[in-house]
Amino acid sequence: MTRLSYFLALAALAAATSAQAAELPAEIKQAGTLKLTVNSTYAPMEYRDPASNELVGLDIDLANELAKRLGVKIVWSETPFAELIPSLQTKRADFIISGISDRASRRETADFVDYLGTGPQFFVMADSAAKDATDLCGKKVGTTRSTSFPVEIEKWSKQNCETTGKPAIQYVPGENSIDVRNQLKQGRIDAAVQGSETLPYAQSQEPGKYRVVGEPFAKGYQGIMFRKDDAVLREVVTEKLTAMIADGSYKAVLDKWGLGANAVAQPMLNAAPQ
Amino acid sequence: MKPAPALAEGFPDLSGMRIAREPHWFRWLSAALIVLVLAAIVRAFAGGQIEWSYVSRFLTAKVILEGIVNTMVMAVLAMALGIFLGILVAIMRLSPNPVLKTVAAGYTWLFRGTPLILQLLLWFNLALVFPTIGIPGLWSARAVDVMTPFLAALLGLGINQGAYTSEVMRAGMLSVDIGQYEAAQAIGMGRLRALRRIVLPQAMRVVIPPLGNEFISMVKATSLASVIQYPELLHNAENIYYANSRVIELLIVAGLWYLLVVSILTPLQMLLERRFARGTLRLAR
Repeated sequence: MTRLSYFLALAALAAATSAQAAELPAEIKQAGTLKLTVNSTYAPMEYRDPASNELVGLDIDLANELAKRLGVKIVWSETPFAELIPSLQTKRADFIISGISDRASRRETADFVDYLGTGPQFFVMADSAAKDATDLCGKKVGTTRSTSFPVEIEKWSKQNCETTGKPAIQYVPGENSIDVRNQLKQGRIDAAVQGSETLPYAQSQEPGKYRVVGEPFAKGYQGIMFRKDDAVLREVVTEKLTAMIADGSYKAVLDKWGLGANAVAQPMLNAAPQ
Repeated sequence: MKPAPALAEGFPDLSGMRIAREPHWFRWLSAALIVLVLAAIVRAFAGGQIEWSYVSRFLTAKVILEGIVNTMVMAVLAMALGIFLGILVAIMRLSPNPVLKTVAAGYTWLFRGTPLILQLLLWFNLALVFPTIGIPGLWSARAVDVMTPFLAALLGLGINQGAYTSEVMRAGMLSVDIGQYEAAQAIGMGRLRALRRIVLPQAMRVVIPPLGNEFISMVKATSLASVIQYPELLHNAENIYYANSRVIELLIVAGLWYLLVVSILTPLQMLLERRFARGTLRLAR
């Protein structure tokens, strides 16, 4: 199905359900709680506030607003990034909203309701000589090894370095975005990659330290991840999210975290291009 | 030879009777129960949501084999460093020199008192503190070029192991009778010579079982170096499941390899024990 037909399907669904609001699955409704799991190392999407140790972030705010509209409380739990998909599969989490990119390879195990624009972004130390992304050909570039970024870097390097006869980027693995930035500061790597949505925050924490190079090099979306067999919950959440976009509360959350430019016009099902 | 004394009056002659075997009902029952439980577990795993084809496919994948080689290289080198430091520190600890004693106690306190993973992260991120390291005027280099994941893992694991091994070595040296030191002195040996020729060879017999234990721990402790990007077995298995999401399958692959390695090490330890117990074979049973 094309993306347009997804829009139409969702629009039709919205029309069909507007008369009769979709219901939460009985299990969740009865418990009155949503079980959500995040990987809290990805500021500003989700992280522990250093002062209060509370879970905060754009995803946390969106989820709280969703829960309010669904009339349920959220029980949060945390896990390493690589364990997010298993958490969903084992039903430890009802759905996952944790800065995770919608990717074709992940759609084998889950459906994504895309809610935020994103893309991998090269960045370097402010005093680096690199001006354009192609200056990074042959250099060491680090990123979190449990994300989709290593594959993206390899693909980009093939298209932009190797086809023009330049040496390929040398990928260096890191444990999480903080570890990757530490490697960059120590000079273990010449450049790093993070989701574009996390860089304004990282830069605000250490002003003047980093500089982005070029544009996000692949367009994608962050998605709320649902189990394949959980269409009911997926539709209810999609409906509430659509309403939040319509009444501006979605935009307010994005603006609060300085990511208004990453907004989507409406939720999309499995719509990221890769 | 006197004939065997006749049985006393009133006692029956038992010599012709067969000794009945005890039936051991409970042994049979417990064995049957355990077999049943094992069968249920095997059945549950066989029918569970595990794609066994992934396990067999990745069991001998190149990255996994490289991982096990890196794991073993690191375990052997870190253990060697640990034993070297352990012997050194144990000797210092038992020396009459108060300076050496204090240094040894301080080393054990520091490296046994902090978690291993914390020490690994400190070594790996050392360049945040010292961007360049070297000998003033002679040689210097960027810290990250020196402190590779390999060296950071080796120093972290080896120095931590040294703190534990020093206590094992000290126990071994204390187990050698004081008379042995005195006898060595009596024939004119110095302290270090007595240690090398008389005390340590006897201490070896005592320290081999705990050292074998520590080495088996070390094989598995190398997996902590995955967080500082040393490409050992678990790190490489994780990299595969980060890409294909087959978490359990790859964890089983790594687990099987760790089990295999430890299964090979256990009899090796017994051989080593036998070698160092040559003088006291009766006790080494």
